[in-house]
Amino acid sequence: MTERGQGARRRGQGELEALVLSALGEADGPATAGWVRERLGCDLAYTTVITILTRLLAKGAVTRERSGRSFAWTPAADQAGLAAHRMRRVLDAESDREAVLASFVTGLGPDDERLLRDLLGRAGHTGRTHSEGED
Amino acid sequence: MGVFVFLPLVLPLTAWPIARLAEQHLHPRTATRLLTAVAAVMAACSTLCLALVMVVGTAQLPGNPLPDGWSDPEVRAAVPYDEIVGKAAIPALCAVVAACARTLWRHARVRRRAHRALAGLPGTGVAVLPDETPYAYALPGGRRDRVVVTTGLLERLRPAERRALFAHERAHLAGGHHRFLLTVQLAARANPFLRPLRTAVAYTAERWADEEAARHVGSRRTVAHAIGKAALVSRGTPAPTLAGLAAPGPVPRRVAALLGPEPAVRRWPSLFTAVGLAAWCAAAGTALSAMSSANAAVTMVLILHTATPL
Repeated sequence: MTERGQGARRRGQGELEALVLSALGEADGPATAGWVRERLGCDLAYTTVITILTRLLAKGAVTRERSGRSFAWTPAADQAGLAAHRMRRVLDAESDREAVLASFVTGLGPDDERLLRDLLGRAGHTGRTHSEGED
Repeated sequence: MGVFVFLPLVLPLTAWPIARLAEQHLHPRTATRLLTAVAAVMAACSTLCLALVMVVGTAQLPGNPLPDGWSDPEVRAAVPYDEIVGKAAIPALCAVVAACARTLWRHARVRRRAHRALAGLPGTGVAVLPDETPYAYALPGGRRDRVVVTTGLLERLRPAERRALFAHERAHLAGGHHRFLLTVQLAARANPFLRPLRTAVAYTAERWADEEAARHVGSRRTVAHAIGKAALVSRGTPAPTLAGLAAPGPVPRRVAALLGPEPAVRRWPSLFTAVGLAAWCAAAGTALSAMSSANAAVTMVLILHTATPL
């Protein structure tokens, strides 16, 4: 029973999702979970592949249609789209992410927007006259 | 030892004036390093004294694992009001340890999750995510440090401003700014009086990266514009300030600073200016804090050593 979870878990969910998605991307048209599993050619259990595909479906990264008794899967987003989706979820889940990740900008206070527009407007004007003067 | 054992718990108050003034008058790099060092020393001293008071407080409780000698009247005489303060120190120290552990854990978790989210992308230094929401940040650690930026933000910036953005984030990574931020966060957890230092360092670290970016791009105005634009397009995010306190937030202050002249790198400000006075005040507070906690620790170790039956 070690062949299922252990290796997969060590690789991490994100990496597995990326693997499955890239395998789907190589298919010509919709592919079944069995095809994906063969394509990956590794120790993944069939149910694991189904789980990952279902998770990708929830993220809007794949779509599926019924074909016979199973589903055929088609990629809807590429790797980057999937990464963007996962990153948004990480950021939305962390209320004080500002404290951990040094963001480029933080939220603006009530008067900040007006103040900022004033500053940038003034900078634009003086900047233009400056560069004209220097040239 | 007497009341001196309590000094490090309140001396962080001496760092308040410098937290305010360093933002405006010192070079952001100097300010970040100075404030972080002050916060770290004061937090360590404050925690040490809390632990010393706790030892005396716990020693009198029945069933504690400490040697019986530690609750002798001679030992307890070293700390005034040992009964009340000693008992109060136990939950206080537990709260400090728990809060610090939680901060560290959250920090590790956010970084781990963010790295995991990027799995499957090519391992380049910059990760561009196709997302309409404009944001950008520096993500340290993992296999390599990365800059994460969305197409939503890049689209709205001109090429020079994009360079400013990347230079800013790279400056964060190259300077290891997350370590400063983590240190002051832990310090603020260890002693709530150190919270103003956390806010100040969060600001000066951004200013530091701004100045580095300005030097790299060669135009302070470009960096100012990049920051201003990025803030205006992502203003949908709720501001962490209260609506009643309409002091200018960090972003307009950063832009204004960049539109002003480059800050001078000074060794140490003169005593006769406001910032110099504040810096000396903070330095004296830190030194006093370190000395009284060292004094308290040494005294306590000596007392406990003599009180321990061997």
